[in-house]
Amino acid sequence: MTSLVARSTPCNPRHADPRPPRRNDVVHLDGDTKRALEIGRTRLLLAAALFAVAFSVVGMRLIGVTLLQEGGEPSLADVPQQTMRTERADIIDRNGVLLATNLETASLYANPRQVLDAEEAARRIVEVLPEVDHADLVARLSSDRSFIWIKRNLTPRQQYEVNRLGIPGLHFQKEERRVYPQGALTAHVVGFSDIDNRGLAGIELSFNDVLRGGQEPLQLSLDLRIQHILHEELSQAITDFDGIGGAGIVLDTRTGEVLAMVSLPDFDPNAPGSATADARFNRATLGLYEMGSTFKIFNTAMALESGTARLDSTYDASKPIRIGGFTIHDFHGEDRRLTVPEVFIYSSNIGSAKMAEEVGPQAQKAFMKRLGMLRAAGIELPEVGEPMYPAPWRPINMMTISYGHGIAVSPLHVVSAVSAMVNGGVMRPATLIERAPHEVSVGDRVISADTSAIMRRLLRLVVEEGTGSFAKAPGYLVGGKTGTAEKLSGGNYNKNARVASFVGAFPMNDPRYVVLAMIDEPKPNATSYGYATGGWVAAPAVGRLVQRMATLVGMPPVDEKQEADPQGDLLIAVNATDQTHAAE
Amino acid sequence: MLQLSTRKPTRFSEADLHIFQKLRSLNWGLVLTLCLISASGVALLYSAGGMAWEPWAGRHLIRLCCGMMLMIVLAMIDVQHWFRLAYPAYFACLLLLVAVEVIGQIGMGAQRWIDLGVFTLQPSELMKIALVLALARYFHQIPLDRLRAPLALIPPLLMTAAPVVLVLLQPNLGTAALLAFGSGAVMFAAGVPVWIFWTAAGGVLVAAPVGWQFLHDYQKDRVLTFLDPGSDPLGAGYNILQSTIAIGSGGVSGKGFGMGSQSQLMFLPEKHTDFIFVVLAEEMGLMGAIGLLLLFGIVLIYGYLIGIGSKSQFGRVTALGLTTTFFLYLLMNIAMVSGLIPVVGIPLPLVSYGGTAIFTFLIGCGLLLSISVHRESRVSPHEPLL
Repeated sequence: MTSLVARSTPCNPRHADPRPPRRNDVVHLDGDTKRALEIGRTRLLLAAALFAVAFSVVGMRLIGVTLLQEGGEPSLADVPQQTMRTERADIIDRNGVLLATNLETASLYANPRQVLDAEEAARRIVEVLPEVDHADLVARLSSDRSFIWIKRNLTPRQQYEVNRLGIPGLHFQKEERRVYPQGALTAHVVGFSDIDNRGLAGIELSFNDVLRGGQEPLQLSLDLRIQHILHEELSQAITDFDGIGGAGIVLDTRTGEVLAMVSLPDFDPNAPGSATADARFNRATLGLYEMGSTFKIFNTAMALESGTARLDSTYDASKPIRIGGFTIHDFHGEDRRLTVPEVFIYSSNIGSAKMAEEVGPQAQKAFMKRLGMLRAAGIELPEVGEPMYPAPWRPINMMTISYGHGIAVSPLHVVSAVSAMVNGGVMRPATLIERAPHEVSVGDRVISADTSAIMRRLLRLVVEEGTGSFAKAPGYLVGGKTGTAEKLSGGNYNKNARVASFVGAFPMNDPRYVVLAMIDEPKPNATSYGYATGGWVAAPAVGRLVQRMATLVGMPPVDEKQEADPQGDLLIAVNATDQTHAAE
Repeated sequence: MLQLSTRKPTRFSEADLHIFQKLRSLNWGLVLTLCLISASGVALLYSAGGMAWEPWAGRHLIRLCCGMMLMIVLAMIDVQHWFRLAYPAYFACLLLLVAVEVIGQIGMGAQRWIDLGVFTLQPSELMKIALVLALARYFHQIPLDRLRAPLALIPPLLMTAAPVVLVLLQPNLGTAALLAFGSGAVMFAAGVPVWIFWTAAGGVLVAAPVGWQFLHDYQKDRVLTFLDPGSDPLGAGYNILQSTIAIGSGGVSGKGFGMGSQSQLMFLPEKHTDFIFVVLAEEMGLMGAIGLLLLFGIVLIYGYLIGIGSKSQFGRVTALGLTTTFFLYLLMNIAMVSGLIPVVGIPLPLVSYGGTAIFTFLIGCGLLLSISVHRESRVSPHEPLL
């Protein structure tokens, strides 16, 4: 560049050659061209220099933003200092975000004995509070009682306007109104309370006395950020497949803490009265469903744990089983003997039933009992469903339960039990309350650490090779099992009303989180090639959720190839030629 | 730096050059740099789309390939043809702008594009190139001495004002400013006396308070927000706060490809279009950001060298005009996302997702390459007006 600058002459048109223009002079035209050339070049360099300066300014700004901490992620908002004594303690999430708090309001009441002209007073009150019924108010103001409510929880503006009316006999009562800043997002967990601040549902009901007694905020185990992601992905899946509802849970396998729990449709807890009963119904804990193939997780673990099956045991799945006028089919028949991993990955009902048969009904029932499947899920919510299971527990029941039919449990039951299957074999009660490390329950051992290790590999294989492949979240080693079950309607299974679910855990080399997504009555559509199964409907939602929440909880992604099945014996056991999504 | 220059003695007159000879004398260094920038664009969109080709990266790649081919084809066309096409192209774009305005009147709100079914056409984008070409042609034809007469400046000023006013009416403040600056650069390169620019700058300063009255509310918001982004962190200031947070959180070396929590978690709106640079700065850190700036810097240096190397006034002025327009694109985009200037909707060339902007940029590069291939050509000023 320097040489160019030196060569170009300082050139300003005003000081240029003053010769008058001679248009027909060829020599002049050449001179003109040359001059234009020189001016152009000088100015080009000048412009370039100007831009270089502007460029540096932008560069400096970038350095300023990145290095001098002008940007930087903001720290989490502090929990506001509680200076005021409230009727009911706040509820916060594990990071201190407000889920329920109180707002001071004024409620309007009257002492009818002090009111001079009931008709006139009522007319003017209705002018500023149009929602109050005029005739009713006149009647009540004319009574000879000394206290009537006119309207509860006025806004400051309404209070100001009522004051301005200057009607004698009207008074304000200081009150507190419970507000839920997160609205519908945590509605089913936090619940709601009535106008007199009594808890009516959710944590508000189960911790009613604690909340009324104390001032310390109640800290839940929920992580609002994960709750938001779960809510978003579940809503998306329901919209995509036109479902009537759904449920989702994220659980910490090491502590049993519930990090997110969503039931859809949901409602605004600030106005619970306008919600339908279906919206208020908590599908995650109160809803009971036959979960279908996800139960094969427990069946396989049970068979391995009891020693009746080993990884290389084989079961003849070529013929349907007929028992008591009932036939058990495979949806995706392999027509041959299947190894235990194959039974699991191809989701063979016949193979599962035969595995259960070797264990026997009594042992199966005992195992289910240890997994908590025979009583209401232990969690701090009043809305929990009592499981439905057969009594007596006959061989036919044993066979259907092996693949998740004939027993109805809540999604939370499945999540808690799967957590025990992958965390090394320890069953801990699920909880919605934040636990300090020393408060974590020791839990009960339900399977051995070795069986748990095998289950982790099998679950990973379903996502790597089988029906759960849409749950893949590269780098986070998702494992899991799909489930699709037809819903009972009027005593018969309805082929068109299904519950599609996926329950999984990640990272499979050392699981931290169990995730469940369940869609109620999804409809098949063109994007899923006419399938409305767990693998097509629920697994993608879990995959997206894992992808989004892993970054958030600071989990580093791993190279999945290096973490692939270490011994490879499971892979050899599975005939890798067929990886369709038909098997459910 | 001069090694980058394309000045090689050629024995042929370019008009007679065979297509393969033209291809050989193509400025492959510039093409390679453009490819590198494009590749980083695809990679960033892949990351912004949640490590997937859908919905952005795949389509972006296809558009880039088409654009690159178009660019090479344009580079083969002799500068004389561009000279000939300059005015017709300008008037065609002007007509399209008027058409957009009329359709916009019917459709209400800001209408900036024409729907052609297959893709949407944004005439204000194409105008950026057409205006530079038309002005370059004007200054090529006018003798240098006459430039000192203020009357000679009336046609180019009118040529600039027409599209600027039309674009302002859309309303698209950012593009209007780009057009005005671009034409200023062309006039400067053409040798318009310097005092005129000082006067213009003074005029803008005086007119600014009056112009403020005519801004739309959302435009006023953007300027006020820029002056104090913290005043409304969840409303108008949200974009700019989130983008500085994301850039700042990247630090020197970044969080790693696909790991930008601020941008991946959808804190950042428009991360795939105007704010794509933020994804880069967060995931690749200061190193990545400076790297991309350097690549763009190389493109600009090539642009200016091509201008300097051109024998014809038309080629030189066009090259400077185009390079300056590109430069302003880049500067305004990065200054915007890092909070130096108010938010104006300007994409980052080749990197941001979006159709017309890519094609405009690559058409412009095709012109630059054509000027470079045909640098020895003499452009005859004696062409009919249309």
